[in-house]
Amino acid sequence: MPKAGLYRANSVLYFQGDLSDKIFILQSGTVSLKYTDIENGKEVHENIEKGEFFGVKSALGKYPREETAQVLTEAQVLVFTVPEFEVFAQANTRIIMKMLKVFSNQLRRVHKQVETLLEKSEAASPEAGLFAAGVYYLKNKQYSQAKYIFGRYLTYYPGGNLAEQANRYLEMAESGNAKYGDGKGPAPLVVEGARNAPAARKPSAAEAPKEEAEESVPGEELSSSAKAYYDAVSLFSQEKYKDALLAFKKIVEANDDEEYSAKSLYDLGRCLFMLGQFDATIKHYTQFIQAYPKHPDLVDSLFFLGQAYEKKGDAERAKGFYKKIITMETDEDASVRLKAKKSLRLLEEGSRG
Amino acid sequence: MADLASFTRFARTISAGEMIFSEYEPGDSFYLIQSGRVKISKIVGDIEKTIDILQPPEFFGEMAILEGAPRSATATAVDTVKVLEFNRANFEVLMMGNPQMALRLLKLFTKRIWDQKRRFMILTLDDPQAKVADVFLMLAETGAAVASAEQDGEKREFKVTVDDVAHWAGMSPPQVQTILGHFANQRRVEMFPDRIMVRNISDFIRFVNSKRKK
Repeated sequence: MPKAGLYRANSVLYFQGDLSDKIFILQSGTVSLKYTDIENGKEVHENIEKGEFFGVKSALGKYPREETAQVLTEAQVLVFTVPEFEVFAQANTRIIMKMLKVFSNQLRRVHKQVETLLEKSEAASPEAGLFAAGVYYLKNKQYSQAKYIFGRYLTYYPGGNLAEQANRYLEMAESGNAKYGDGKGPAPLVVEGARNAPAARKPSAAEAPKEEAEESVPGEELSSSAKAYYDAVSLFSQEKYKDALLAFKKIVEANDDEEYSAKSLYDLGRCLFMLGQFDATIKHYTQFIQAYPKHPDLVDSLFFLGQAYEKKGDAERAKGFYKKIITMETDEDASVRLKAKKSLRLLEEGSRG
Repeated sequence: MADLASFTRFARTISAGEMIFSEYEPGDSFYLIQSGRVKISKIVGDIEKTIDILQPPEFFGEMAILEGAPRSATATAVDTVKVLEFNRANFEVLMMGNPQMALRLLKLFTKRIWDQKRRFMILTLDDPQAKVADVFLMLAETGAAVASAEQDGEKREFKVTVDDVAHWAGMSPPQVQTILGHFANQRRVEMFPDRIMVRNISDFIRFVNSKRKK
């Protein structure tokens, strides 16, 4: 049983540095905690409110008191030993919940202070950090790790600055895993950072020279079509689909550079889909596939066709497209195949249930 | 642990080698290990550093649950791992229904807060030698990396490498290597491939205290 105690003004309940297993609740009167701020070395005084616990952390954690608890005006306190506190808290889970929240805030704060001292204040944003972790594993041929991270990246930041690159790295990780297995094979060619850099797209035989030229000279001036194209991609990634749609249309209409107008034609369909224009998406990609049966983004186009039919409620047609994707054996498109498999499974489960 | 049977709907099995979450990933769930081991690691510079290997009935990912901040480290299954997975939505249900577990988590938080504060104390020392010495004091206080249970007088052995000490002190490994070499010349420490021995821990305590700003 916790003991009630009456303490006179100016008495001290415990000193900083003491080891003790006592936990207190203030019932009446005034108690002040005096401690040194670890950041600026200044002495801090903090009054305990009525009904508040104190001395909890050092007692539970079995480390020395971090503060001195001094009675300012005559105070009535309840004193628990750790086992008594445990019995009490387990019968009053809300108290534990409240403490968990307080402690987690303290933990965050001190964690941040440490990080600042380590001069990591310029540390990566979570988005860039996650991406960098994926790059690390890919470089070290830990494909399944890299695959997990880029997959997560695309889930959390589908319109992120690095989404295009993440997509490619995801495919590299998938094909690395399928071809060589974890830890084997040649070190993947990974370009770090570089927003909008058209890096590391696995070139098909036909477009290989052009793509490689782009890759090896990342600082090279882009053609005006290329610039317009990446501006449009950037609009897309900012979820400005209408603007992106117009921008892609312009590139297609101008037709200055066949490569970028073909690319834009594919992306135009993605915009239509994101804008919810599913009939237009279907019409667009149906024509696209006929015009460019060997387009590098062919499989993705099929996937969008499936998605558009699915959105329209035509599960049978959607399934047809997903099945077609699955039967097409191209490992560079492994991610879209996985997506197709998943969509197909969901549809089939849905029709059974 | 009796109440856990009612939480089987939160059970998840992870195969060996599989990543459970990556550092920087937004976190909305935390885990209680029921069987198997989990590696906690972090990419530091060009290497992946193992911070800890956890076993039942330890928690991990618990930092995420209350504030939804990004993960500070990566968790990977070492063996086939069985966990209970909780998120913000079922966290309260779990904790309210399982005060014993809530209390364990509370104790874990008190320990983590102390660890971080202690680390902060090391980093605020100006003298690089004192920083290195204080890392050993911290290790001695927590008993975390003490090499043998039987300690002989003032002598303490720690299962740490130069890189580990550098990490804790927030210094570069070569700098720590130089300081440890200096301590070795003074016969205050002895270096082994797999451990570092402090010959007189009280000497280190006095040294660090003399360097700490009052």
